[in-house]
Amino acid sequence: MTSAVSGAAAGDPVEPRPPLVSVRGLGIRHDGATTWSPADASFDIAPGEVVLLLGPSGAGKSTLTLALDGLIPHAVPAALEGSIVVDGLDTRESLVAELSTRVAMVFQDPDAQLVTGTLLDEVAFGPENLRMPVDDVLARAEDSLRRVGLWERRGENPDRLSGGGRQRLAIACALAMGSPLLVLDEPTANLDPQGIEEVYAALGELVAAGDRAILLVEHNLDAAARLTDRVVVLDQAGRTVADGTADEVLRGRADELHEMGVWLPVATLAAMRLRSAGWALDPLPLDPDELRVALDAATSPAPATAVPNSSTSLAETGVSPESGPDATYWRSSGRATGDAAPLIRVRGLRTRRGRAEILHGIDLDVRAGEFVAIVGANGAGKTTLLQSIAGVVPVPRGQVTVDGVDVSRTDLRSLSRRIGFVFQNPEHQFIAPTVHDELAHGLRLQHLPEAEVEQRVHDVLRRFGLEDKADVHPFLLSGGQKRRLSVGTALVAGAPVLALDEPTFGQDRARADELLGLLQGLNRDGTTVLVVTHDMQLVTEYATRTIVIGDGRVLADAPTAEVFSDETLIRSAGLRLPPLRRAFAGLERHPELAGITRLADVPYGSGFDPAPASATPTEPTAAR
Amino acid sequence: MTAATIDPYATTPAGGRFLFTLNPLAKFAAPLPPMLVLVFVRDLATPLAFLALAYIVLLAGARLTVRIVLLLAVALPVAALVIGLGMSLWVDASRVDTSVTVVELGGWRLYGGAVLIGMATGIRLAAIVALALVAGLTTNGADLVRASVQQLRVPYRVGYTALAAFRFVPRFGHELDVIRQAHRVRGSHGGRGPFAALARWWGYIVPLLAGAIRHAERVALAMDARAFGAYPDRTERHLVPWRPRDTAFVVAFWIVSAVLLVAFFPWTL
Repeated sequence: MTSAVSGAAAGDPVEPRPPLVSVRGLGIRHDGATTWSPADASFDIAPGEVVLLLGPSGAGKSTLTLALDGLIPHAVPAALEGSIVVDGLDTRESLVAELSTRVAMVFQDPDAQLVTGTLLDEVAFGPENLRMPVDDVLARAEDSLRRVGLWERRGENPDRLSGGGRQRLAIACALAMGSPLLVLDEPTANLDPQGIEEVYAALGELVAAGDRAILLVEHNLDAAARLTDRVVVLDQAGRTVADGTADEVLRGRADELHEMGVWLPVATLAAMRLRSAGWALDPLPLDPDELRVALDAATSPAPATAVPNSSTSLAETGVSPESGPDATYWRSSGRATGDAAPLIRVRGLRTRRGRAEILHGIDLDVRAGEFVAIVGANGAGKTTLLQSIAGVVPVPRGQVTVDGVDVSRTDLRSLSRRIGFVFQNPEHQFIAPTVHDELAHGLRLQHLPEAEVEQRVHDVLRRFGLEDKADVHPFLLSGGQKRRLSVGTALVAGAPVLALDEPTFGQDRARADELLGLLQGLNRDGTTVLVVTHDMQLVTEYATRTIVIGDGRVLADAPTAEVFSDETLIRSAGLRLPPLRRAFAGLERHPELAGITRLADVPYGSGFDPAPASATPTEPTAAR
Repeated sequence: MTAATIDPYATTPAGGRFLFTLNPLAKFAAPLPPMLVLVFVRDLATPLAFLALAYIVLLAGARLTVRIVLLLAVALPVAALVIGLGMSLWVDASRVDTSVTVVELGGWRLYGGAVLIGMATGIRLAAIVALALVAGLTTNGADLVRASVQQLRVPYRVGYTALAAFRFVPRFGHELDVIRQAHRVRGSHGGRGPFAALARWWGYIVPLLAGAIRHAERVALAMDARAFGAYPDRTERHLVPWRPRDTAFVVAFWIVSAVLLVAFFPWTL
């Protein structure tokens, strides 16, 4: 792979091969939308090259991928400006079928890419559509399935694969099209940590073989950066602002990208902070291993140059996790330590679904003001635990108390004053025709006087930035607004506890960060937050306490930093260490950094803006 | 878990049983004429004869799992009996043979003629169902689609899209569960009674449809991206041929049916 690029970069004496794909001045406007996104994108993809497409939320990255194989404008109605030439074919004049042999797609949702009953039929589906002879179809199917390690399971129904397995199958299906370019649009956004690792292992082998070019749109840059040859960056308006090798762009222009609101690898962000605090880190590392090596090679700056982080000083969090509880944890839950009784009390909880017992005796207490993350592999029972606490699923008597009442004996109306539940997909819980009524619904159920209902609805609308949307149908809001409304409806009845089920699932990084920022604000104001999530970096950034669930039991329940200091435990629970933890845990020369798990705890100097203004996500105009 | 979910793609194990080796269309074509005729049959003997024929074919040609045995030996006879009895109560007593009285309760009498008509109806329905099971128990969805495309010239775009849509069913079932759960948590129960239930279900439809349309769009894009529908035909890796034995099965079934129908003519009580 690297050879292909270095060859091209060195200016081969042989005539350079024409690019596989050539995008020039591309602008796309969805029918019914007012803005062009992307607005003016230009770049080439050479055969065998791995290109990472970056840009802030709303820059039109996904839209661009749909245009590469002609789905835009042939299958999705949209106006297209500029040109895309794939292997000599103008996408506007060619059929999607013709282009599909040159550009193969892997989409975000593995379930939405399955059409047949077995793995083998699934992979054969594309070649069959191309009318290839049966022997060739089978040869391609076998080759593709072997490359992603699924050949042995070819006779099974794809439903029986894990999320990571299904996404590997989607990659095999794309390979079977025989196209020289693979386009992957957020291929790991719907996966758990184990699935992400599986998909990147498969992609890594693909890159090593070097026979396909890859265009990757991905927010999980920690795994993607090391596979990448070239990086193309779109700005907020959807114009190409950077196009160069991973070194030139990610390392060389990191500050500029960060200012623009482009998400960078966590290791790079940490290094930028440290560099501003006086550490000599040049070149910037792109993944946890590089960061660790670079740090061990560097000498720590004189203490005076390091400006302590405004919110947390290094001394506080630098405590080695083994030596005692994390200072952050105790401080944030400190306001609750005076209370005698915990807010949530779970004793010997055994929740059943049908005949199967999902939870096998869970004990835990949550005090007011805590921010608790519940993590675990798929099927471990973490969602069931959250739903049991919130009374969403029936639980046996006397096992769960929230704010002094037994959940199993309380009707949902009075329970909603104590705990608010936010479902994974906000649309599922919308029941009223306007945003205003949506918020008023819970209050009217409690027979509050209409004046008070109006007052509280207005407060929530203002707090969640939805004032001008009061009369809009909830389904017509943008993704971020829907999510804010769902949190608002859960809190409007005055619940002191908020429970969220995978609120960042399938969302891009910017939107996930926006939501978590909102939750952190609520938590600071006193709301107790319980969240089930797969995103380990988010867990370490925000949660003060982490509960690891495995096979219906509590595997660990401790301050977040302590939980993530035990890698054996984390891996055995089907989870993976977050990137920062991987970078800092192995440090030999700088024990003062070894305890850091949160980006917010990495010290930085005056030259670094941890939250650039332009990074605040803007709402895309079309709610697609 | 796996037993409870019906997998429309599951390849039926051949096991040497002859029904599994037949073309699905043959299994549908063979019992179709007697099924249509049975709709107009009124006696007891003709449906009984066809019930027996269907059972013989199934016992000889299908693989007998516990579920199938229970279906044939218990569920179908019980259903026939229940429907038969129900029908005999419903029959207009003034127009039946009143020579035999089966039950007498006060002034109300159940006559033998009514029971006969009721049972004839029950057994007729059972015979039609049993004939449909000849194909139903031994055919998988994918093969039926393939045979329809290959022999009936159904456009493959229709056939394979229908097959892909099978995948939607369990997904939407799950999504509906989640929506109901979410609405319950929001406290939108809305009270009891048919009107409240109607209003409740109406509330489920919007989010379900929104999710369904989005999912269908994504599946359609994924299929387009893999060249589905690019050419007037596509490679058929699994040929479902029409063999001489399919013709033989259909002709034999039709001859036996004709003989039975002639023998029991005019099919009235």
